[in-house]
Amino acid sequence: MHKNLAEKYRIKNYTDLIGQEKAVLDIKSFLKEFPKKRGLIIHGPAGTGKTSLALAAAQENDYDVLELNASDLRNRVKLEEVLKPATLQKSLFKKGKILLMDEVDGVTGADMGGIPELIKILENTRYPILMTCNDVWQTKLSSLRQKCKLVEMKALPVPYVLEIVKRVASKECIKRDDNFLNKIAIKSQGDIRAALNDLQSYHLVDSLVDTNEKRDVEENIFNILKRIFKERQDFLNIFDTTKMSLDEILLWIEENIPKEYKDKTLAAAYHALGNADVFRGRIYKNQYWRFLVYQNIFQSAGISYAKSSSLAGFTRYEPPKRILKIWLNNQKMEKKKTIAKKYARLVHCSVKRIMRDFNALKPIIKKPIVQEQLDLSEEEIDFLNKH
Amino acid sequence: MGQVDIWTEKYRPTKFEEVVGQQEIVKRVKSLVQAMNIPHFLFSGPAGIGKSTLALIIVKELFNDAWRENYLELNASDERGIDVVRQKVKDFARTKALENVPFKVIFLDEADALTREAQQALRRTMENYTNTCRFILSCNYSSAIIDPIQSRCVVFRFKLLEKKDISEVVKRIADKENLKLSPDSFDAIYEASEGDCRRAINLLQATASIALDINSEMINMIAASNKPAGIKVVLDYALAGDFVNARDKLLDVMLKESVSGTDVIKEIQKEIWNLQIEPEIKVKLTEKTGEIEFRMTEGSDEFVQLQSLLASFVLAGQGKAT
Repeated sequence: MHKNLAEKYRIKNYTDLIGQEKAVLDIKSFLKEFPKKRGLIIHGPAGTGKTSLALAAAQENDYDVLELNASDLRNRVKLEEVLKPATLQKSLFKKGKILLMDEVDGVTGADMGGIPELIKILENTRYPILMTCNDVWQTKLSSLRQKCKLVEMKALPVPYVLEIVKRVASKECIKRDDNFLNKIAIKSQGDIRAALNDLQSYHLVDSLVDTNEKRDVEENIFNILKRIFKERQDFLNIFDTTKMSLDEILLWIEENIPKEYKDKTLAAAYHALGNADVFRGRIYKNQYWRFLVYQNIFQSAGISYAKSSSLAGFTRYEPPKRILKIWLNNQKMEKKKTIAKKYARLVHCSVKRIMRDFNALKPIIKKPIVQEQLDLSEEEIDFLNKH
Repeated sequence: MGQVDIWTEKYRPTKFEEVVGQQEIVKRVKSLVQAMNIPHFLFSGPAGIGKSTLALIIVKELFNDAWRENYLELNASDERGIDVVRQKVKDFARTKALENVPFKVIFLDEADALTREAQQALRRTMENYTNTCRFILSCNYSSAIIDPIQSRCVVFRFKLLEKKDISEVVKRIADKENLKLSPDSFDAIYEASEGDCRRAINLLQATASIALDINSEMINMIAASNKPAGIKVVLDYALAGDFVNARDKLLDVMLKESVSGTDVIKEIQKEIWNLQIEPEIKVKLTEKTGEIEFRMTEGSDEFVQLQSLLASFVLAGQGKAT
């Protein structure tokens, strides 16, 4: 059996998709309503069944599937050559077809014209285009997002994963005790593909699954931070030991610099981090990935050599809080925005400006008569009174 | 719709004669409008000096009661991308103008918020619909508008409003609303408004919501409470060596007041020269500030860059330059 288990047991219909009932309902209604929206983005962590869901949908409706890997179709020209004709030609053998673009995050943004072209294709396609991606909320996908229906696949809870692992194990005649299978399920953190891959690789080698390996990602970052902050070294390869992306590591460093460094060292460290960030920005802007080298060096050696001698002692590092804070704030500011929108419509002014001048305008908006004219909802009035 | 009780609207001029401070422009626009034919316009100038108002007067003069049907107002900084703008223009331009005028009018506010590429696209749109539509673009700086668009428009540079202009508007409203203003309140309003008439009127209305008898103290108090608090506090923390509080406060200000990184950096750049530090360090800090602002325009992370700047302020607080 040389076939990859995850591929071999890829589910083929809706009913096998355990724990994703909501997603199934969503995709059904999308296909029924087509062409109300022509694109569907299935998003969620790796191994939750995004591709499987799309393939199951095709199977259930007896559609042909044209699978395209987005990373092969990065720019406008390629999309126009390959994808566009496919959206217009009829299926040869079946009653319909769907186009499946995996990893749409791999399509580059406005610079290469990839996303705009995709949107153009979406507007004219005769067949549903299904896309998958991990993080649908990144800004470069924002315009695409508006054109598409979104379906979220959540990481599966451990019991579900365990059930799948057990089922596959019994079909493959892998005889291991529940304890072993349980460990695999826990380690997977909801990633079914990872679980099945582990099952395949570990059941032969008679070693126990190291359930801590995944959690190591976090432990690892603490170690990395400790070494970078405490020691003075080149550290050119230090990030190779973690699966965390450089950008995420950058946030961790940003959060924890002031815990270790003061004054001159602090300034030097932020100077280095600022440089790392400049190259991060350039990578995104120019899609020139060699710049990663510079980002890497600035946020490792740059931080390490910010001090003139190594440091001792224990420091409790903390995960980055900024992103969470921004998110919480956006939730809170939602009402402010809807009020600003209503107000802006009346006064020939941009919503942005109203948001900026909100404080100055509050006494005016608070007047009952104005509230009435703006047709504020109860929640909006509530927001005004609270803030 | 009944009268809106928002004074910037209630007292927005509806006739050419009521516009203050822009006599030259008004005269020329008026004669064009009276001939029932207008070119594309580009209005440039800072906020709150009558650009939108003049556009509204133009359409009201041209279309009388039917102005709403023949007028589309778009704000470039709110619309998500040029494609949305184009679609809206397309939908609007498809039908013919009512009334006796052979064209409709599209007002695109804050056109300088569009990128150069978007402006190129806009230029094509302007050409496509030039038979059925006239465009009025407004912007803060005409230099931010690409030449091909400028050359298709008659460009008017609006003057900053002077104290007498603002005072005239304030007086007019105060009389209608039965407010009593002490003489020095006119100065106070003008100072706080920085020549922005919209801001002046909003300030007047906000103050009037507390009392009908108004003096400069009350105005200054309201104006101060409107100011986005914080940047000064952020810098004070940094100068005192408290980096952690400085950056927490900074994030707070940026989130709660919805100010962008570039707004923060502008504020910091101005504030540097009010600080109690050596002038040489001020120059150094300005250099760093300029570099950070440049990086932001290039697409760097605003908050990472601002922290780097704050770290320099910590050093400056100890009399050291970076």
